[in-house]
Amino acid sequence: MTDRIRSHGTGAITVGVLVFLYAPLMIVVLFSFHSTGGLSFPFQGFSLRWYEAVLGNTEFRRALANSTIVAFSTSLATLVIGMLASLGIAKMHGRLRSVIGAFFFVPLTLPGLFIGLSLLVWFSRIELPPSLTTVTFAHVIYVFPYFILILLAVLDRLDLTLEETAADLGANAWQVFWKVTFPQVWPIMIAASCLTFALSFDEFIITFFVIGSESTLPMYIWSQLRRTVNPTINVISTLLLATTMLLWVVAFVAVLRSERRRRYSISKGAFTP
Amino acid sequence: MVTVQRLERLPLGPLALALPAIIGIALLFVAPFITFVVYSVLTAGVLPFQADAPITLDAYGHFLNSGVNHNLARNSAWTGLFAAVTTVAISLPVAFWLRYAAGSHRNLVLLLITATIFASYLVRIYAWRSMLGQNGVLNSALISVGVIDAPLQFLLFNRFAVTIALIHIFLPYVVLLLYAALGPVSINLLEAAQDLGAGVTRRWTHVLLPLVAAPAATAFIFVFILSASDYVTPQFLGGTKGIMLGVRIQESFLKTGDWPAGAAGALTMLVAFLLLYLIVSFALRLLGLRSVRFVS
Repeated sequence: MTDRIRSHGTGAITVGVLVFLYAPLMIVVLFSFHSTGGLSFPFQGFSLRWYEAVLGNTEFRRALANSTIVAFSTSLATLVIGMLASLGIAKMHGRLRSVIGAFFFVPLTLPGLFIGLSLLVWFSRIELPPSLTTVTFAHVIYVFPYFILILLAVLDRLDLTLEETAADLGANAWQVFWKVTFPQVWPIMIAASCLTFALSFDEFIITFFVIGSESTLPMYIWSQLRRTVNPTINVISTLLLATTMLLWVVAFVAVLRSERRRRYSISKGAFTP
Repeated sequence: MVTVQRLERLPLGPLALALPAIIGIALLFVAPFITFVVYSVLTAGVLPFQADAPITLDAYGHFLNSGVNHNLARNSAWTGLFAAVTTVAISLPVAFWLRYAAGSHRNLVLLLITATIFASYLVRIYAWRSMLGQNGVLNSALISVGVIDAPLQFLLFNRFAVTIALIHIFLPYVVLLLYAALGPVSINLLEAAQDLGAGVTRRWTHVLLPLVAAPAATAFIFVFILSASDYVTPQFLGGTKGIMLGVRIQESFLKTGDWPAGAAGALTMLVAFLLLYLIVSFALRLLGLRSVRFVS
């Protein structure tokens, strides 16, 4: 009982919020399985016909492939750059640390509209034509602060003396990383990479300005939103929802598990990864 | 001396490890933003999508003197305000419940709420269009139950629809932020207030609200800025009445091609956001709410 207090209707409000958050999304999912072209009640039975229509559509397949390529490149580049950067910053102290740390979070201060516009002007200035490459550049800048945010929260609680001990015992930098640091941080690296993949896979606001004539899944939905009035857009929405929300659940569980493991090993009195 | 020893031991110093990221941010954020600011003081070229010397503040002048822009700016400000106030007001009791009353349901509800952060932005906009439309889910459900005879017309293509969708988008972030803010506020504090005879209202106004005022203000600014600068939601849900400044700025970049005008508009909006931030921080400090912190 120490943890609880009379809630005075806040529980009811929470239930209301859950309904508000999920009802519209569930309606979208429900009507993706509709047997007719109708988009509102009465619901007239289940069918997979719209899924067949979407999966057979070459425009959709191209958008899906592009989104996957961009999200994969983005999360890989962010993983490498972000891992190095967060290891670097975890070892910094004092003023240097706060300056570099603040610099890493600078992209978070601007709403997507401004980042997209700046990049549009910049890429045109340096004569880099819009393509999936410019989209990937834009996405890396967008997801980087989130990646660092998650990794730093974890790295700061790691025992850096372990690394120093390993170095004292003759391990080189590479061995220190692989044998000491990596075993401690890999669940978080997976979680953070799931997040960056999901963020990139779903990004629209910035992408819109730097993509040119190519397409990604959100761009495809955007173009469909302007014309289609049949459940194919529900199907694409459902697939996008399923992908990004599944990645989030994987990330959430990975964080919980690493947290539990950490507590367990600390309670055992030793850090045994 | 410690740093020197470390640098000697590791072939890569901390700064070298951070270097790729520093270069990346410089090339893909700092330089683009500076270029953007420069474009706002250039003159639009004869051809669209171009801008050149001479340097002038004309774009700012035109932007600030246009009646259309005033209307759009007012629309953006009201939408941002409604979305931000409502989101924070709804999130407070939810954060309260999660922190003090959720018990064993906490992780599940937290997971459910935060999972919707990753529910695609465009999908939410579409979801609300199909909910609120004339033949939408809400109207057809109300008609079949018999509450109304004819579809409600005021649901879609106005500021209301835009605001609802924006609340839907930002609510999970704000719940998370306020829940984290309540973390250090011990339940003992509430129980002590209760034991001393404070009712629910007094516990909120005299204990909880002063403690979460600063994070709640942060959440307010966050939702306001992101809502007021949104250019997609108003396009699909706002109709002609709900159109906002962001849409016009986006159009000057991709449709009309007057880049200085768009850049000047965007930067004016950014300055307005900065002013709002300064005003809110000043107000908090004036009320003495800035540095209040209770750790259990």
